[in-house]
Amino acid sequence: MRASLFITCYNDTLYPETGRAVVRLLERLGVELEFNPKQTCCGQMHANTGFRAEAFSQAKRLVRLYNDAEIVVVPSSSCVAMMREQYPGLIEEMGNAELLKQYTELMPRVFELSEFLIDKLGVEDVGAYFPHRVTYHASCHGLRALELGERPYKLLAKVRGLSFKQLPNTDRCCGFGGTFSVKNAEVSSAMLAVKLQDVISTGAEYCTALDNSCLMHLGGAMHRQYAGMKTIHMAQILASTNETPAEATL
Amino acid sequence: MSHAAISTHAELDPRLAPPFPKAVLPVLRNPQLRKNVAHAIDVIQAKRAKLVAEKSDWQDLRTAASELRMHALENLGAYLEEFEVRCTAAGGTVHWAADAEEARRIILGLLRQENASEVIKIKTMTSGEIQLNPFLEANGVNAFETDLAEIILQLGELEPSHIVVPALHVNRSQVREIFARRMGRPELSDDPKELTNAARTFLRQKFLSIPTAISGANFLIAETGAVGVVESEGNGRMCLTLPKTMITLAGIEKVLPRFQDLEVTLQLLGRSATGERMNPYTSIWTGVKPGDGPQKFHVVLLDNGRSSILARKTERQTLKCIRCAACMNTCPVYRQTGGHAYGSVYPGPIGAILTPQLMQMKHAQTLPYASSLCGACYEVCPVKINIPQVLLELRSQVVNQERKEAGRIFDPMYLGLRAANLLFARAWIFHTAQWFGKVGLKLFTGKDGWIHWLPSMGGRWTQTRDLRGLPDENFHQWWAKQRGQNKRKEAK
Amino acid sequence: MNSTAPSRERILTSIRNATKDIAVNPADRAAAYATLPRNYIRRGKMNTEAKLALLIERLREYDAEVVETTPAELPAVIKAQLTASGRHYFLAPEGLPSAWMASGFDWKIDRNLETAEIEKAEGVVTAASCGIADSGTIVLHHAANEGRRVVTLLPDWHLLILLASQVVETLPEYFDRCKQSLGIPHLATYISGPSATADIEMTRIKGVHGPRYLAVILVHD
Repeated sequence: MRASLFITCYNDTLYPETGRAVVRLLERLGVELEFNPKQTCCGQMHANTGFRAEAFSQAKRLVRLYNDAEIVVVPSSSCVAMMREQYPGLIEEMGNAELLKQYTELMPRVFELSEFLIDKLGVEDVGAYFPHRVTYHASCHGLRALELGERPYKLLAKVRGLSFKQLPNTDRCCGFGGTFSVKNAEVSSAMLAVKLQDVISTGAEYCTALDNSCLMHLGGAMHRQYAGMKTIHMAQILASTNETPAEATL
Repeated sequence: MSHAAISTHAELDPRLAPPFPKAVLPVLRNPQLRKNVAHAIDVIQAKRAKLVAEKSDWQDLRTAASELRMHALENLGAYLEEFEVRCTAAGGTVHWAADAEEARRIILGLLRQENASEVIKIKTMTSGEIQLNPFLEANGVNAFETDLAEIILQLGELEPSHIVVPALHVNRSQVREIFARRMGRPELSDDPKELTNAARTFLRQKFLSIPTAISGANFLIAETGAVGVVESEGNGRMCLTLPKTMITLAGIEKVLPRFQDLEVTLQLLGRSATGERMNPYTSIWTGVKPGDGPQKFHVVLLDNGRSSILARKTERQTLKCIRCAACMNTCPVYRQTGGHAYGSVYPGPIGAILTPQLMQMKHAQTLPYASSLCGACYEVCPVKINIPQVLLELRSQVVNQERKEAGRIFDPMYLGLRAANLLFARAWIFHTAQWFGKVGLKLFTGKDGWIHWLPSMGGRWTQTRDLRGLPDENFHQWWAKQRGQNKRKEAK
Repeated sequence: MNSTAPSRERILTSIRNATKDIAVNPADRAAAYATLPRNYIRRGKMNTEAKLALLIERLREYDAEVVETTPAELPAVIKAQLTASGRHYFLAPEGLPSAWMASGFDWKIDRNLETAEIEKAEGVVTAASCGIADSGTIVLHHAANEGRRVVTLLPDWHLLILLASQVVETLPEYFDRCKQSLGIPHLATYISGPSATADIEMTRIKGVHGPRYLAVILVHD
């Protein structure tokens, strides 16, 4: 199976170790990976802040870029949600029939990481070893837009050595919300404070998620507060083995 | 006992309210208020969740309600005209108010016709929307609220912070203090039962003596010309049974095609609003009934921007709202801020989309940004309003407005996003920008590899969060190095 | 006809322009209405016994007193309820069966009584139009034997006589009944428990306005 990796703009810039983990993980599972070096961004930041005009060109570019890809894997549920939920409206507004056709044909081939593992590869046990106490934060896009459901839990359940701690109030937003985190920084921080209480109460060593955006926000506060806890993208847990333990994010 | 000193509580006015990011600051620093809000929300949410879980056709009801409400909106003119014909035939008088100012004038005119210097009111947010109480006061009419929460707010000169439980931010000792002072009952304890009884006694005298009442409407039925009010306390029944003259103010979007349609909305409303299978009292009346209730009945239909909302394809769904407040009960932003910060009688997620639109996007432009787009509201909305979708649409309208302003080119957010767009257009520009970013941020990166302070907009992040410094090698650089020559890395 | 005619035109024109992308003629409107999705539960599946048991359970959750009886026993049970209430002065709607007005109490029949007179009553006895088991709702259509709205509002104690044949399981079944037999009511009050408020610290307090005591006699007819 061949898959093209859409790393996302912020993973490329801020969390390359997540990308490296995705590569290690998928190749271990026998997937032949490609990486189109022309990729940049899906346009979510612009679309969500109200800069729709700017988002048009980014959407068009992304769809065209992956036209010929057999499969696209994305280690970020918010970017996949952007493509599934907002691209139709943007493309319709552009009135480009050819683009719409390309988009419609592309989308069934686009997978968020956990979707790819569970639905496409059909695996829950990816051969991972991560001997730590871990709690899982269900980011809103993954939870509601992608309806990832049990997938992340199934994957974590098969990680050897991992002690899973259920996060209370798991469906409550962490407060990141993209540019909301700076436009409404105080409310974002208040939501973060409340969420952090829940995360720390689990007694886990690591908080994981399928989105580095939420983890950047949670982890940033943990670091500021010397909270004694770290964040790590799930790809890094799943890529972790005895021989090649995970690179920690923090 | 003198009641002359009762004044109306301050009305939340979107034209005067501070921007949301500023309005939240005093609230976020108030632990008592945040605790009250969280407690109230948790109670209602738990009750709601239990009842929704037991209703196996909940999603079917939501679908039916959403389609029904949209159908009513798509045929609004026809259904309103049908309502008018039937209501009039039943002895009611229907008035049409294009805006808030006209609605106020009409209502005052009707009160003057009855020589009314006092009026009792059933809670209606629509009257808050049109700033009715201060207007009546200024024109010599005392408006007495009769809902317990509204009495608390009115006597205490406070502002509402929630649609269904407006005084949730006021605790029992505060209520005791207000009642003791304003009802002349210094002996009252802070026991909620005793306080409620005090309100019962205080209000009964008003119900029995004031012959004019003002209400809102939860729904208007086109088929029969009926009006419906849903309530818990019984003050609604008092106001619409005992007086001689009844004035109902209703937004034009409240109309349902047929009486039978209540079988959908009534199943959703109680469960969503208060976590009950059905609220204690629902009253339905049609025009005037000789010998039973008010003999003069007026309906004031209010547009005030609704028909403009109706015209916009994505935003039209805003008008499906049945005012249950489930959205704000589930909203993680509202949970921390309460309702006042939204500066409108409509707070929370629905307020964030309705208020700016009612203001024709001239005010409350920070409200569409008062959301992390988590989508919890959409999940619980009984009529399936895709609030995040409308928020995004309104954001782009705000940006399009703001773009035209001269000073905006210097706004860091605009600069940043405009720049970002350019650099995402080509990979080489993006990569160059990444390099500059990495180098630039090194200035702020500590020895531990973390950034603790940033200027300008970045400083909004670093107020409460650290940021890890940019790695020396980003992903695409790593890939190029590892894979550039089609070298296959041994999988372990 | 009234002075808001110009605004009426403005508003209706505004609405018409706003919805011109959907412009629907009456026939299409009726068709669109008729084909709206209604996949929610309309008819309940409970048998009579279960349905009545559910209604009683719901009513008791609301702190309503519920007793069951047969038509033959009804007058005696009414008398027992009135006695147990400790009250003496009762209102009766104009159409209340005289057999229900137990002896030994002061009765006033509501023939357009003044509010002040109604205020003096300690309780009221009425029939009802329907009972909805799912939500524990009693429906009044304010017919002659149910009384004007004020008589079930001001007195503090309300005794309702509900026939088992008047009970349905679901809310949609009530609306079907309206279509089939009851007619669409001109006036209606749906009672689902005594009045309540949770406005003070979310503490639920019952009995704000309206009768604080509700008793229901369910007659197995």
